[in-house]
Amino acid sequence: MADETNQLRVRLVTPERIFFDHAAVAVELPAKNGYFEVLYGHAPLVAELGAGDVIIHGGEGAESVQRYNVSWGFTEVLGDRVTILASDALKPEEIDVPRANEQLARGHKEWDQAGDSADAYTEALRVISEAEAKIASAAEKH
Amino acid sequence: MANVLDLRRRIRSVKNTRQITKAMKMVAAAKLRRAQERALAARPYAKMITSVLESLTRRVDIFDEDTGNLRHPLFITREEKRILLIVISGDKGFAGAFNANILKTAFQFIAGNTDKEIDVEAVGRKARDLMRRRYPVAVYSERTESDQMGDNPHIFKTRERKAPVEVTGDHPGMLLKLEQSRVFEMAQNIIARYIHEEIDAAYIVYNEFKSVIAQRLVVEKLLPLMTIGIPQITGAVEQTEAERERAAEAALSAGILIEAADTAEADEEAKKFGTAQVDYIYEQPSEELFAGLIPQYITSMLYHAMTESVAAEQAARMTAMDSATNNASDMIDAYTLLMNRVRQAAITKEIIEIVSGAAAAQ
Repeated sequence: MADETNQLRVRLVTPERIFFDHAAVAVELPAKNGYFEVLYGHAPLVAELGAGDVIIHGGEGAESVQRYNVSWGFTEVLGDRVTILASDALKPEEIDVPRANEQLARGHKEWDQAGDSADAYTEALRVISEAEAKIASAAEKH
Repeated sequence: MANVLDLRRRIRSVKNTRQITKAMKMVAAAKLRRAQERALAARPYAKMITSVLESLTRRVDIFDEDTGNLRHPLFITREEKRILLIVISGDKGFAGAFNANILKTAFQFIAGNTDKEIDVEAVGRKARDLMRRRYPVAVYSERTESDQMGDNPHIFKTRERKAPVEVTGDHPGMLLKLEQSRVFEMAQNIIARYIHEEIDAAYIVYNEFKSVIAQRLVVEKLLPLMTIGIPQITGAVEQTEAERERAAEAALSAGILIEAADTAEADEEAKKFGTAQVDYIYEQPSEELFAGLIPQYITSMLYHAMTESVAAEQAARMTAMDSATNNASDMIDAYTLLMNRVRQAAITKEIIEIVSGAAAAQ
């Protein structure tokens, strides 16, 4: 069981700066193929993250939950340490919902126009999933 | 000879100029400080990407047994026939020889590769303006019908090359507010062009900036990738001793640290990312992880070049404006001396006139 001594050191690093560096109890991560949660003593793991929310439990106080929206990331999990590289990190209240909606519309348009191109579909899918993750994350707060 | 009134006006005008250059110097110094902080803050991410990629190349069987190369399209080397040149300059002038030097290096590069087709991608207003004046902009004609190889989107857009050197793109305002997402888009565009064999190599010209006294102009090969974590510098112009002294003086008077900040500890920490001596569980196949990281690696290289270039531009502006301020002070001193002499001469002349007038009256 997690107690005061069994805490993860969680670091969230973005290209601009070190966004978050703190002890926490648990972290939920949006891997490319689904969410997973990391607790103290997790087996070493590396994973690519897709669009979604990084949720840090117990970062500041036992009850605190911090949620950051990322659109791409990479994570390394060691027993006592989680390091997340994210291309960006937004708090739910920082998300520009109209812009995300625009992005979603653009993604659907790209999808419709992709024709026979596999690359275009992948790109459209990426845009759509990013936008959807942002909208969902923003909705979570309100 | 000018009269006292003229000189006084002149001095006032130079004083005003000095005021302006001094203000510009302080603004540049403040911006430099911010740019340095940003470059520093961007380091951990770049280091971590590099170290995890490095460790993946060592651990994972992504080498092609036949060629010994990494099995990734960006590691494939081809004969360099078409080159992409990314030129990173400043957005504004008043920065001494900063922009001129970068553009000179870029033109030398182009002059040294006359037998090749070169695409120029300009970042920063100065580079864009000059490159566009000198070279034609690439023309694309779009076709909407699908060929037999309908699975490739890039065949819809054909390019008619008219000149050996063409400008394929510019990025206005990129340096003004450096955003990771825009740099990422640019990186993806470059990667796509390399993979679709529109270009055989990509070079980047920019001003590297470790600190005020440790900077150089480099030509770095971005693609194809050779070894992760080792920049392929193909040409570099170091600072001259005089330039370095001047820059150090200017930095000192503006309260900027001369030495580069100590990042050894943070770098050491970042190096550990993804390199622990344990057997990792790979959530995705390692090839996929590798392929997902490569665009980020290219992005971080570009982002790094841009942050350093911005810092170097501000440092150059600060130095230039410090020189201008000093020159203005010297000029004021010289004019003040001249003015006093002229005034004294006028007084002497008047006394002589009075004395000789009195003598004549007697």
